[in-house]
Amino acid sequence: MDWNFVLSIILQFTAITVAFTVVLMIVAYTVLAERRVLAFIQGRLGPNRVGYGGVLQPFADLLKFILKEEIVPDKSTKFVYFLAPILAITTALMPLIVYPFGPTVRLPFLGDIALVIARFDVGLLYVLGITSVGVYGIALAGWSSNNKYSLMGGLRASAQLISYELSLGLSLIGVVLMSGTLDLSGIVEQQSAWYGMRWNIIFQPIGFIIYLISAIAETNRVPFDLPEAETELVAGFHTEYSALKFALFFMAEYVNMFTVSMLATTLFLGGWSGPFIQQLPWLGPFYFLGKIIFFLFLYIWIRGTLPRFRFDQLMNFGWKFLLPVAILNIILTATLALFGWI
Amino acid sequence: MSAILFILFAGLAIGCAVSMIVQRNPLYSAISLIGVFISLACIYVTLAAPFIAAVQVIVYAGAIMVLVVFVIMLLNVEEEERPAFRLRYLVPTAILFAALLAAEASFVIFTVQTSPYQQAHPSASANPSEVGLTASIGRGLFTQYLLPFEITSLLLLMAIVGAMTLARRASFLSPNVRVVPGAQVLTRQTVDPRAVGDATAIETDSTIEAERLLGLENAPHAKDRD
Repeated sequence: MDWNFVLSIILQFTAITVAFTVVLMIVAYTVLAERRVLAFIQGRLGPNRVGYGGVLQPFADLLKFILKEEIVPDKSTKFVYFLAPILAITTALMPLIVYPFGPTVRLPFLGDIALVIARFDVGLLYVLGITSVGVYGIALAGWSSNNKYSLMGGLRASAQLISYELSLGLSLIGVVLMSGTLDLSGIVEQQSAWYGMRWNIIFQPIGFIIYLISAIAETNRVPFDLPEAETELVAGFHTEYSALKFALFFMAEYVNMFTVSMLATTLFLGGWSGPFIQQLPWLGPFYFLGKIIFFLFLYIWIRGTLPRFRFDQLMNFGWKFLLPVAILNIILTATLALFGWI
Repeated sequence: MSAILFILFAGLAIGCAVSMIVQRNPLYSAISLIGVFISLACIYVTLAAPFIAAVQVIVYAGAIMVLVVFVIMLLNVEEEERPAFRLRYLVPTAILFAALLAAEASFVIFTVQTSPYQQAHPSASANPSEVGLTASIGRGLFTQYLLPFEITSLLLLMAIVGAMTLARRASFLSPNVRVVPGAQVLTRQTVDPRAVGDATAIETDSTIEAERLLGLENAPHAKDRD
């Protein structure tokens, strides 16, 4: 075991810690932003008392979650009940490590390093695989609580995630066909041509729209938030969860929002690429985060605008509209790629 | 390093497999099976086959097991009662097959040092990192292994058509038949929401037919029924 190996492991751990901390901070402030923006949309003020303009509100919320009483339902299946929130947050955080946060940059003492934690030949499939495992957190939470509302929420969530995962995966195949690789860093590097503006959204507008809709459904957000429809199911799968376990589910939802926004940015909006990226590589992470924040704002905006679907509408829309359109998009892209027009 | 990882994940896989058989609660068995699949995927990664690993997680852990868990949750299967131990003759059979399997495994471990593919292509081991990668798998599927690939696709298509046929059997009945599950005998209060407590029974499996038999055809709500 030589020193370079040890050094690389220490570097990896540092990188993972930094990335997770930054993402969790952004997620905490997404929650605050959601409350303030929603309040603005609805003509209210929102939380503005803790700190200047409410900037310390996320920490106050976290403190409250930690100090609340833990309530465990008597008839619940204890092991699965405790496993579910852990699964939810783990599978939400795991995809973060394959995304390229920026181009290769020069650091003092360390030389040139690429701003990506793990460059993986099948990065895209890794992300999709972890996402498909993520459904267990919700499904098991619903089952183990021994509560009919939780069970209904869990069942709805599994049905919805299975249905929309298909169109989500198929909407990405167009991009894969164009770039010829599943490596996320490679896909971004191809989009940094044309002074950093050769974004895939120009060639894949249909795929982008399908991805956006399915991604909102995958993260259980309005207008697809049927698993936690409060007017029908109390709170859905997390009805019986309290204190920090509830906070884990809450965090997992927002981290999932963040990661699907990252995937949209990476595949369709050029990731870290943008103007002047060759001259100033450090602009990369800022472009990347800026695009992600645009998507997060879009999420909040949609939540403030649209009403909720009915469950049969949701299923019909997913299977009878989105899926055929996604398949047509693949056929169109494959035909164009075969004749070399894109 | 890879030896440590292999022992870790192989132990995890075997532990989960044993737990899958031993558990009485079907959901615990399903969770253990998911553990087996994910440990296998980790082993594939250490064997430099990331594509197989990702597909293993997506297909087995992500799709098939979700359906299994879904069905267990939907049917709310209780813990199985352990039945009286009847099939005693299975024990010697099981021991025999276990011994055979162990012999097979040890034969592979102690005698076969190189795989048949490597024996046929001795130069292939020069750059083994190419084999498990996405591009080489895709190329192989559409050139050398095209026929097995197409046959498998056809098999899957047949399975899909079969599933559709079984699931849509209900549509062979006339379209206005609405079966109320578990209620072949309808009472008047089931059909007409205004007649609470009226238990006049009518034997049919369609609410529309029940309405006709009860003379409620022209009731105001009957027309705006969905």
